[in-house]
Amino acid sequence: MDVEIEQVGRERKEQVLIRCHAVTEEVREIAAFVKSRQGRLTGMKDSRQYEIAVSDIYYFESVDGKTFLYTKEQVYETAYRIYELESMLRSKNFLRVSKSMLLNLMKIRSIQSALNGRFAAVLLSGEEVIISRNYVKGLKAALRGE
Amino acid sequence: MSFKQFFIEKLSLFFMLTTLITIAIFVIGSAFDAEARFGYEAMLAPVRYAACCVLPTFATYSKRELKKKELIARMALELVLIEAVMLFFAFTSPVIDTSRISVVLVIAGSVLIIYTMARLFSWLRESAEARVLNEDLQRFRQLHGQK
Repeated sequence: MDVEIEQVGRERKEQVLIRCHAVTEEVREIAAFVKSRQGRLTGMKDSRQYEIAVSDIYYFESVDGKTFLYTKEQVYETAYRIYELESMLRSKNFLRVSKSMLLNLMKIRSIQSALNGRFAAVLLSGEEVIISRNYVKGLKAALRGE
Repeated sequence: MSFKQFFIEKLSLFFMLTTLITIAIFVIGSAFDAEARFGYEAMLAPVRYAACCVLPTFATYSKRELKKKELIARMALELVLIEAVMLFFAFTSPVIDTSRISVVLVIAGSVLIIYTMARLFSWLRESAEARVLNEDLQRFRQLHGQK
């Protein structure tokens, strides 16, 4: 696949156009990546596809090899792995807080001490998620902008 | 939890237990046997007791992140192990009169108080850390445009 970049004037709309012989998985990945950079992700629920604003996502969780994204009231499955999302969404205030969870820092209402050196993040929805001890240092650095 | 983190936690527990056992020995000894005199080797007693209490608790290590109920069960198991070790020392010690039930009860009660205080100190330290995290969180949210 050749890549061309054409700089246009402000009077024209910015656009990413993918010309392809067939809409393969690779093409879908490129499209999904572009959408994620614009703040949107595709999620699956009941065999239907939905576009979800990244700012609406509370956290991602990996369960039994599948990755799910959680908004305030809905749960969707996404094709991405946690480590891929971590890389894609670092600049969007998402942080790894355990081996299987990526949390949107903007959705944390408060942080409480949980047992055994762990912390619990109380989200804006009222839900609590556990922050593993190993990831607390990273959380501190992220909150301080380090 | 990584073994390294678990080990650091046990090391912290060891030092807390050493201090609290020292205080307990002073209080109990003053109450039950104020006339006793010891040599320098007695100063190692709290260190030995703390080490013997903490070592068996390594059996409770789990690589998997435990749920809240599992953590509480682990703490209960740790307490039982520590009680067993301390009572063993008490019953095999020539200087502790375990024929008196009050002595046994005071030792068992002291272990419970010491373990609870060690856990309480840990919780207080972590609560202070949570307060700092919350302050950082508020600054972070303000910086990124949310209140």
